[in-house]
Amino acid sequence: MPELKAFLEGGGEAGALIRAHGWDSTLLGPIREWPQSLRSSLGIALRSPTASAVFWGPDHVFLYNDAWASLLAGGRHPWALGRPAREVLADIWPALAGQFAGVLRNGKAVNRIDELLVRNLGGETFDSYWSYSLLPVAGEDGRIAGILAQVRESTPFVLRGRREALMLRMAERLRLVGDPDAILEAALELVGEEVDAARIGYAEFDEEAGTISILGCAVKPPLADNKGTFPTPDFGRDIGEDLRAGRTIRIDDSARDLRLEDPRVRKTYAALGVASALVVPIVSGERFRAMLFAHHHEPRRWMDHEAALLRQATEHVWREISRARAEAELRRSEERYRRLFEQANDLIVLATLDQVITDVNPAAAAAIEMPPDEIIGHSIADFLAPGQFDQAKRMLQQKIEHGGTTQHELIIVSRSGRRLNWDINSTLTLDKSGNPIGLHAIARDVTERRRAEERQRLLVNELNHRVKNTLALVQGLALQSFKDGRDMAEARAAFQLRLAALAAAHDLLTRESWEGATLEALAAETLGLHDGGEARIAWQGPPVRLNPKAAVSLVMALHELCTNAAKYGALSVPGGRVEVGWSVDGDLLTILWRERGGPPVRPPERRGFGFRMIERALAADLDGSARLDFEPEGLICRIEASLADAATRGEAP
Amino acid sequence: MTGALRILLVEDEPIIAMTAEDMLDAIGCAVVASAATLEEALAASARGGFDLAMLDINLNGVQSLPVADLLKQLGKPFIFTTGYGADGCGPHTDVPLVAKPYRIVDLEAAIARAIGERR
Repeated sequence: MPELKAFLEGGGEAGALIRAHGWDSTLLGPIREWPQSLRSSLGIALRSPTASAVFWGPDHVFLYNDAWASLLAGGRHPWALGRPAREVLADIWPALAGQFAGVLRNGKAVNRIDELLVRNLGGETFDSYWSYSLLPVAGEDGRIAGILAQVRESTPFVLRGRREALMLRMAERLRLVGDPDAILEAALELVGEEVDAARIGYAEFDEEAGTISILGCAVKPPLADNKGTFPTPDFGRDIGEDLRAGRTIRIDDSARDLRLEDPRVRKTYAALGVASALVVPIVSGERFRAMLFAHHHEPRRWMDHEAALLRQATEHVWREISRARAEAELRRSEERYRRLFEQANDLIVLATLDQVITDVNPAAAAAIEMPPDEIIGHSIADFLAPGQFDQAKRMLQQKIEHGGTTQHELIIVSRSGRRLNWDINSTLTLDKSGNPIGLHAIARDVTERRRAEERQRLLVNELNHRVKNTLALVQGLALQSFKDGRDMAEARAAFQLRLAALAAAHDLLTRESWEGATLEALAAETLGLHDGGEARIAWQGPPVRLNPKAAVSLVMALHELCTNAAKYGALSVPGGRVEVGWSVDGDLLTILWRERGGPPVRPPERRGFGFRMIERALAADLDGSARLDFEPEGLICRIEASLADAATRGEAP
Repeated sequence: MTGALRILLVEDEPIIAMTAEDMLDAIGCAVVASAATLEEALAASARGGFDLAMLDINLNGVQSLPVADLLKQLGKPFIFTTGYGADGCGPHTDVPLVAKPYRIVDLEAAIARAIGERR
C-alpha cells in the first residue's frame, strides 16, 4: 500500500529513514495505522526548511526533519528517531517536560525566544540558547494528540550580544582611567564575569629577554595571584611560536596536552596550579606584545564564546594600557619640561599672537619683580621701555612672514623701574597644521654686560683724554724747554729730566691706583732721584695724602727746585744742603724748601720756566700759593695749600 | 699793545695754559684773564674785558658748558679746546674746536673763524 506512505515523499533523508524504519513493534505501530493528524503534521515538519519535528502521543515520540537532524550532536542521529523526548532530550528534559505536558493538556501553544537551556552532553555542561514553538496537534477524536515543534538555536547571537554588552561596559569603565594598573584590575574583573575561570590575567612579552611577565590577575580560590616573570619556553612546546603568530591557545587538560610534556613545563603549570588554560595573544605592529589568559584548576573545554570574548577584551585592554602609558609618559615629559621651565636661569615668556603674556617662568617673573600670575594676562607692551614695542611687533611680523627665530635686544622695565637689557630669542608656537598660535621667547639678561660695555667705553674715553692731556703737557714742557735762545744741549737735558719727573709721578700714581699719593712717598720718589745717595736732601713731615693732580704738580715743582739747586743753588757746591719739611695746621698744609751752604744767592733777572711753573702750577693745582724767596744764604720756597682741596680735588680715576 | 686781541683763557692745566699763552702771544693775542675752574671761568666771563674766550671743555672733570652757554648769551665769541673727541660741545656744535695737543696754526685758524663769524 504505497499510497499510505505517500506523505513521506519529498521528506528528504529523514523521510526516507522514517519510511525504512521498522515501526511495527514501536509505540506508534506500523505507518499504515498512523492517524491522519500525525501524517499531516509530520508531512509539514518534513517539508519545513527550519528544524521541525513532531512529538507524538503521551510519550512525545520524536519524529524530525533533516534540519533538526543536524542539531543532534554527539551521534544521536538517527538513534533518536522514534524515541521518547525524555530520552532524546534527557539533559534538558527537566526544563521541558512541564511545557510538553502543558501543551497536550491545555492545547495551548508555547513560544519561547532565546530560552537558556543548560546542556550536558558527553559529560560537559554548557549554556545554550534556543528559540522554539510547540504547537498542539489535534487527533481524530479532537483531543490534542501531539506537538508540532519548530526550533532555532540562538546561542551564537545571544553570546555575541553578551560580549558586545560586556565590551561596552568595559569601554565605559576604562575610558577615564589613567593608571595602567587600575585599567588592568577593572578589565580583568569584567572578563571574569563572562569567563568562568579561577584566574583571569594579563601578561606582557619581552621579546629581547624572551620572557613573559604576568602583570595582573583576577583570581578565585583555589588559584592565587601569580604575578612574575617566566621564560617563554616554560609554557610549552610550540606555545611561543603560536603566541608570536597571534594564535589563540587552548589547553583543555594540561595533564594530557602533548605540548606540555617537558618536565620543566609541567613544573611551571603545576606551580601555577593550571589544569586548563585559554591564552589570547595581542599582536600589534606585527609584533607579539601581550596576552590575556584564563586559567582553571580543573580540566575544562574552552568555548568559542570565551575565546572570542578574551580576544576582544585583549585588544581593548592593550589599547587602553598603551593609551594610559602614553598619557603617563606625556605627563612625566610635561613634568620634566615644566621643571626645566621653572628652574631655568634663562628668562622664558610665552605669549599669544596679540602679545598677551600666557606664561612666564620664575626667573622672568623675578626679573620683572612681579609674581607670575600678575604678569600673565598683561600685554608685553606693559613691560617694555617706550618705543620698544614697535620693534617687538616688527620682529613678530618677520616671524609670521618668514618663519624661523628672531634674535634681538629689548629694554624691559621692571616694576620698580629698573631698565633691563634682554637679549631675546623668540619663535612662533605652531598648531598641528603649522599655523602660528603664539610665540615663546627665551631671553638672557645682558644688562650687566651692557653696563660693563658702557663702563669700558667711558674708560677708553677717559684714557684718551688723559693721553691727550699728557701729550699737551709734554708739548708744553717741550715748548718751554726749547725756547728761543737756549743752549740746545742744556735744553735737551732739562727736557729729558722733566719727562723723567713726569714719568716718575705717573708711576707713583699707577702704583697707588690713581687714588693719590702720600707726601712722604712723593718726596722720596723725587728727592731721592736727585740726591744720588749723598743724603744732602732731608725731608720730614706728618702723613698727608694728596690727590693725583696735586701730586703730579708737586713732583714737577720739586723736580724744578732740585734742578735749580743743582745748577745754581746749594747742591751746586760740596757741603750744600736742602731741607724739606711740611706741617699741617687745620686745613692748611705748609711745605718749606730751604737751601743752605750754597753760593750766595741773587734774585734772577728773568724767571725761567721752572720757577714760573712752580708759582702757577702749584697755585692752581694745590689751590694755594707758592712763594720764592731768594735769601742770600739760600733759596726758600714756601708752598701753602688747602689740604681739604688738595686731598679731594682731582679727576676721577 | 693796541690792536692785540684780548683773550680769556680757561684751562685747568697750568703748564698747558703757559704754552697757550706763549702761542697766543706769538699770533698777536694777549691773555688778559685766565681761569682754572668753572666758578672762576663764570666770574671772569661775567666780568668781561676780553674779545674772545678759549675754553677747555673739561675742567678737572667738570664740564665747562655753563661757561659756553653764558658766553653765547653775552654774545662773546669763543673757541673750545679739548683732550676728548668732538663730543662734549653740547648744543654749541658750530663753535670752533681745537684738539689737544694743539698746533699754533689750528689755534690761529679757530680764532680767525670765531672772530670772522662775529664780524
